[in-house]
This record gives sequence, structure tokens and C-alpha cells, in this order.
Amino acid sequence: MPDYFLQLSKDVRFTEGLKACMNCGICTAICPAAEFYKYDPRRICDAVQSKDNERIEQLLKSDTIWYCGQCMSCKTRCPRGNAPALIISVLRKISQETGLFAESEKGRQQLAIKRTIAENIVKTGYCVHLDHVNPKLHPEQGPVWEWYFNNAQDVTDRLGANYNKDGPGALRKISKENLDEIERIFEVTGATLLHKKIERFSKLKAEELKLSFDETGTNNEYFFHVYLKNSDNHNI
Amino acid sequence: MMEKKYWKDYQREIADDDYFYHRSCIRQTFFPGSEALFLKILKNELGKNVTDDPNLHTCTGIGYHSDVVPFDTTMTIVARLLSQMNKSELKNFVPSCVTTFGLLSEVLDTWKHFPEELEKTRKFLKEATGREFKIPENVAHPSDIIYKNRKVLKGKMKYQLVNKETGNPLKVVEHIGCHYAKIFPENTTGGAEFPQVLAGMIEAWEGKVIDYPERRHCCGFGFRQYLIMANRGYSVANTKKKFESMQPYEPDFVVANCPGCAMFMDRWQYTIAEMEGITYDKNKRGIPVLTHEEMTGLLLGYNPWDLGLQVHQVQVEPLLDKIGVVYNPDDKYVGKSGIKLSEPQRPKNI
Amino acid sequence: MKKKNVIVIGGGPAGIEIAQILSNYSCNVTLFEKEPQVGGQIKRIDKLFPDFIVQDEMMQKLISNLEKTDIQIHTDTEIKDIEQIDNIWHLKTNKEEAFTADAVVLATGFKTFDPKYKEELGYGIYPGVITTLEFEDMLKAGKIQTSAGEEPRRIAFLNCVGSRDEKVGNHYCSRVCCINAVKQSIETKELLPNAEVFCFYMDLRMSGQFYEELYRKSQEKHGVNYIRGRISEASSTFDHRIQIKSEDTLAGLPLKMTVDLLVLMIGVEASEGTTNLSAKAGILGEYGFAKSLSLHLKDNLTKKEGLFLAGACKRPSTLREVIADARAAAFEVVNYLKMEING
Repeated sequence: MPDYFLQLSKDVRFTEGLKACMNCGICTAICPAAEFYKYDPRRICDAVQSKDNERIEQLLKSDTIWYCGQCMSCKTRCPRGNAPALIISVLRKISQETGLFAESEKGRQQLAIKRTIAENIVKTGYCVHLDHVNPKLHPEQGPVWEWYFNNAQDVTDRLGANYNKDGPGALRKISKENLDEIERIFEVTGATLLHKKIERFSKLKAEELKLSFDETGTNNEYFFHVYLKNSDNHNI
Repeated sequence: MMEKKYWKDYQREIADDDYFYHRSCIRQTFFPGSEALFLKILKNELGKNVTDDPNLHTCTGIGYHSDVVPFDTTMTIVARLLSQMNKSELKNFVPSCVTTFGLLSEVLDTWKHFPEELEKTRKFLKEATGREFKIPENVAHPSDIIYKNRKVLKGKMKYQLVNKETGNPLKVVEHIGCHYAKIFPENTTGGAEFPQVLAGMIEAWEGKVIDYPERRHCCGFGFRQYLIMANRGYSVANTKKKFESMQPYEPDFVVANCPGCAMFMDRWQYTIAEMEGITYDKNKRGIPVLTHEEMTGLLLGYNPWDLGLQVHQVQVEPLLDKIGVVYNPDDKYVGKSGIKLSEPQRPKNI
Repeated sequence: MKKKNVIVIGGGPAGIEIAQILSNYSCNVTLFEKEPQVGGQIKRIDKLFPDFIVQDEMMQKLISNLEKTDIQIHTDTEIKDIEQIDNIWHLKTNKEEAFTADAVVLATGFKTFDPKYKEELGYGIYPGVITTLEFEDMLKAGKIQTSAGEEPRRIAFLNCVGSRDEKVGNHYCSRVCCINAVKQSIETKELLPNAEVFCFYMDLRMSGQFYEELYRKSQEKHGVNYIRGRISEASSTFDHRIQIKSEDTLAGLPLKMTVDLLVLMIGVEASEGTTNLSAKAGILGEYGFAKSLSLHLKDNLTKKEGLFLAGACKRPSTLREVIADARAAAFEVVNYLKMEING
């Protein structure tokens, strides 16, 4: 059994996030994810605090750690100065580094986030840009969004943006020098390595699930599987 | 309802001038007019010095909080932004996004309490880009700056948050982004429980702040809970909870200082209406949601369609009429070219 | 031989008891109390735990013993400054008068935590949120009612408000709140048998004699409900009731409830007098309490000769402990001044 607790304790956010939990439940009381999901941040801190690596491994493989919405309401209220949301971030990190994320329905979604958000950052310098919010993948954005998306240049010009052009302004094209530096930072700090791991473990899982897997892009069976699948087994 | 106030009405340090503006992925995408307006207000109305450096980029906050960007990477990306600020010789960082604001607070706090993390980041940035950076003197959110100048701006305002017909103050729900207040409450204007940053603006401009049970509840963005379609139920459920809670108080509009919150609280009303036929106002048209820049700009007398209110799903005209804003309906769907564009489809239920 | 002078600062139960005892010895005792009357914070309480003795009757016994003596009692007088010069203590009051003494007893007691600092609980903002002391006022009046003058149907008690809480800087347990909540729950059920009563706790510290039995009685005889969870926030509903959010940690589920009255079991802090005078005398302890010389064997002495401690100025304490402590402190003073009992 790997020493997951040791791995967790090496992260500075673990030191920040878990001093000692007295199981008062104030975090769960205020947690939006606890309202809607089978989720209890108090129990997660209790499990981690126990240093029981079998319990921790169960967490790393489960949907549980992926329910948190990172709102940080827990941190505001904890009387011991803990922050379950930070513990969750470190658990998610270890889950991805060890490949255990691919064992859960919610964890597998990380491939989709990597292919969209992470690649957006390196390719464009934005996490999210107007061009990325395709109305077909976002019906909830509504018909006004669709209109705006289809008339982006004309409308954003009126609103004072600099849509996809050089120079300063909203929605500008970010220059290659900047993007190259971002890519270098990703390489040097381990982001690129993490992305390779997400890809590798996802590919193995796709083979196991007998779903087709393309090395890039969002237009393949495995991507849509992780993007859309909801077993409806997540609520209280 | 908010009569007895015991919370510290402290003014946390908000820089006075010489701002280094950092744009928000979400605000640029969904509310570019708000960013343009903020810069206009600073320069033209308040006479401040603010830069708009094109060599900036995302802080990676969304990637960080959806766990595809490691903390080391995020710290180094933030360091790059700071090094760019150092190049302009400015010391006051002004992030348009609330996630960026929260991230800056978290990163600066980490560097303060764990100097080895700061050293590590310096090393990484140097190795990847050859750059060096300094810690900023001040980090303030644009809503903090507008709050600080709310009385000066009031003097320039054409309208106030008053119902033109009845003379009563408008009832306003103010929504503070979670990452503005909840991570480091001491870093905010007024703390996490009864933040003053938007309430102060609303009260200075003669509106009435509504206190309702789910006032401090997250809007539900949830990062990965929205980014992945399978998870979006979580996101809409949070907003639904808030609207159900505020409904009896009959708010005239909602204002948010986080661009994500403003977007979600607007769009999810449409989603809920189309899925369940439910709206949260008497006229079944939805409760308009504004960014704090849009609220400020409207009262200053800017054309609502130059501000970008036509890009909201919940139609804002009922609010404009309440305030008495003069506007041209025929100008709403006109682009920069002057051509009138074809109009968006109307939803069934809102 | 010249009679020694002893000054007792603070006219609560500890100060009253030690002053009264020392008046039997060969010394001049002067008692200073900053309020218009002696008695201290305990005067706010209706009935005492764990046996429901009427506070007023109990304190009357102590106070009448004091009144039988010829002690000089200065009420409405606060000691602002304290200094030791050549083994003599020099004190100054808020009225700029100066006094000296061979021995000083600090019996300046405690104050309660001001829950306005827990903004998320809405104290001072929502009328349905009150403190345990305001609840005692209601018990004294024999009537529990909401601010609208109605009979509450559901009441919640929240333990550990201002205690065991890093966010307000008080990491410690205030000792008396758990048993107080049990007591007040029973009193609630006696006045309002049909009301639903909930106690929200992290731990139920029934550490004194008869406490555990009282807890059991509250469940068996009175039907008080106990929920193991700390309330995170309280807000006002549209109809002016109080909505609370907690977790039922034993069930492992979040819990939301609407109540008519939320009673905050506010914790114990050092009084301003305790902190101010401890600092000036050089005996400041943690959290602003007075620091005794040694916890087990010298708990009424300090590192300053001739300066003694009695009662809750050291730490959160029960009334029984405070009276016993005052008697122990009297023994120390008598020893120090080598006094004889009056003939």
C-alpha cells in the first residue's frame, strides 16, 4: 500500500488545509456540495486525518472527491482553521498523479477538462474565450448567447473589445512570445507532465471500456463519454 | 432588515491610483463592455492612471480550481503577471476577475508563510522565462475601487437606484463572489458575512440592499461542476436555491462583482424557466442581473447597449424603465458597423 | 503591631467571600467594585446549575455576611492602575484617588464573549438570536417569548459561541456553557412543555457532579433533543424566524432548520479589569486572564509578592469553584501577612 498520507503531507496546501479536525460539522453545514451530492467534507477530513492509507485510497478512486465546487465556504467558518477545499485539491492532485482518477465516473472527466481548459491556456492564453463557448455544447447559455456568438465581431467591437486582434483590449489575440513563455512555464513546473499522465491513464481506461480514443481533440467517443455520462447515482 | 450593524466597517487598504489592470477570461467573454467601461470610468471620470498591458494572459485560476493546472504552475504564472507589472513600474495590481483576486490572495499568503515556496517560484520563473518579479504593494478588485470612489461617482450620476414612478428605493440583491470574500475575509471591504463593497455602492446610490436567507450561498459555478456538461445540474441547483430564497423579497435586480456569478445568475434563470416553467418575479420576465460596472455605467448615463446589456439573457428593459433610463430600443441589436443585426430567438417561458 | 491593609479588587462572589473571611483577621479590608452594587455577573442568573437553587437567595447569604462586617466597600469605583513599590502596593481609582495596601487580591472576574463578532450568527441583527444571559432575563420574568411577543414553538441552543474557535481567537473551552445549556433546556420545557427544544453541541462536557444525571433527565423526563453539530450560520426568514444550518454529524447529513429563538451559549473571557490590571502588575496570562504562580500548588499566588488571585480572573470557572478558590486565597493572604484571627 503506497503511503498516500505522506504524499499528501508534502503539499503546502495540505499544511494550510488540515491542522486538526474536531469533527464539528460546521463545514458540511455550509457546503453547497453537501446539499446536493452524497458528500461530506467533515468525513473526508476525518478520513485523511486518520492517516489510514486504505481509506485514503478509497477516496482517491471514488467520485466523492470530485463533488467539491471550490467555493471555500468551509474555510471561512472552520473553528480550527482548516480548509477542506484545500485538502480536496491535494487529494485530486494525488488521484491524477497515481492514475486513480480514472477509476471513477467524475474523476474520468479530468480528460475533458484537460482537452478544453488546459489546452486553451497554452494555445490561446485564455482559460475561456468567447470562441470556446460553442452554443451547441452550451445550450444552457440561451438564444441571446447564440446570437452574440454568431455576431461576435460586430457586437464586441461596439462594446469596446479588440476581438482576436493584436494590441490591448478584451478578447485580443495574445502574442506568440507570451504563449511560448506560458508553455515553458508549464514544462518547467510540471503541468505538461501532469497533462501527459491524464492522457495516458485516460487512454488505458478507454481501452478497458472499449471506447474509441483520439490522441487530441474533443470529437471522439471517450471524450463524449466522460463529458456527458451521469449515472444519476450521486445524490442523497 | 440591516439596521443594526456591528460588523467592522473597516476600510481595508485600497490603492488610490496607478493601477495595473488584469483582464478576466469570463468578463472579457461575457461582459467585455464592463471592462471597457471600468477603464473609461477610471480614466475619464476619476482621472486615474491605469495601464492595459496586452502582454498579460489568464492567471490559470479556472484551470487551477478544476485541477488541471498544478499549484506550482499557477504560482509561476502569477509571478509572470507580476513581473510584467514590475516592467511598467506600477505596484497596484487590479484583477478584473474575482477568481484571480482570490488566487492572488492565496498565492501571496502562501509566499508570506512559506518563503521556500516563494524561492521555488522565483527559480521556476527564472528558468522558464529569465524573468524576475516583486510582490505587489496592493491588490484591489475593481469593485473595491468603485466602492472607494462611490461618493465622487454619485456626484456625476444622472440616475439613482430609485423607482422613478413610486419614488421608492429599488430593492437590490447584491451577490459577492465566493473567492472575493470567503478565502481571506480580512482582505475584503467589510469581511465575509456582511461585505460592504457592493452594499456600500447600493446604499450610496439610494438603493435598498435585500438580506435574504441564502444571501451568502455560492451561485454554483463550481468550476468543474459547470465545465463538464454531466455536472451542470449542481451548478443550476445552487442558483435555483438562491432565487427561491430571494423571491418573496421581490428584488428589482441582482448585482454581482464576480463575472461568473453575474453570468450564471442570468443564464440559469433562462434554463430553469425553459426546463420547469418557473420564473422568480411577478411578471415572468426574470430578475435582471448586472455586473457592478454595468450598474455604475447605467447610473452615470451611458447607453445601455454600449455597456453590453443586450448580451444578457434576462431582458433588462423593465429595470431601465424603473430607473427612468432613456434608451433607444431600435439601437439594441445594432453592431459597431451600424447595421441592425437579426434578433435573437425569444425563449418560451422568460 | 500596626494592622495590615488588604485591598480586594472586585465585588463578585470571590471578592465578597474573601473580603468577608479576611475581615475576621487582624487587618483592614477594603473592597472595590466598579458597578453600583456588589454581586458580580452571577446576579444575572435565575437558577444555578446543577441543583436549580435560586441565585438571588444564594448570593444574599454571601452578601449579608459581607454586610455584617465593618469592611470599607467602595462601589462605582474601578481600580485603573496598580504598582508595587518596596513591598507596598499602590493603587489608583477611576476617580483619581490613591490607595495603598500590604496585600492585594485580584478578584476582577470575567466578561462574556460578545457574539457580534460571530457575524454569521446574526446577533444584534436578527431579533430572534439572543444570548444565554438574555434568556436568563426571560427565565427571571417567568416568560419565554419572541421579540414579537409570541410563544416560541421551537428553540435551539448553540454551544461554544466564542469558545473553541480559532476565528475569534479563543481556542479554549469555557467550562460552564454545556451544563448551562442543559439547565436552560430543562427550564424551557418546564415553562413551555409543548415547545421543541434542540441543543447543538460538539461535545457534551458534563464534567461536574450531578451534571451527567441532569443531561439524562433532560432527555428522559423533558424530551430535549441533542444534535451533534455546530451551527454554521443563522439568517432571518421572510416571516422573521431564524433559519439555521448545521450538520447532524451522527447521521452524517447536513441539516437545515427554522426556529423561533436561537440562544447563543456565549463563552467566558477575561474582564477588562482582569486584563488591564494583570498587564500592569506583570502577571498577564493567556487570553488576558491573570496568571497564577503554579497551577496545582500555588494557584492563588502570583509571581509578585503580596498579589493574590481569587476566582474567575484566572480561567472560566463555576460558582462553586470560585467560592472555594476565594477561601483558599484567604488562607494564602493570612499566611503571607502572618495574621491572627480577631479575638
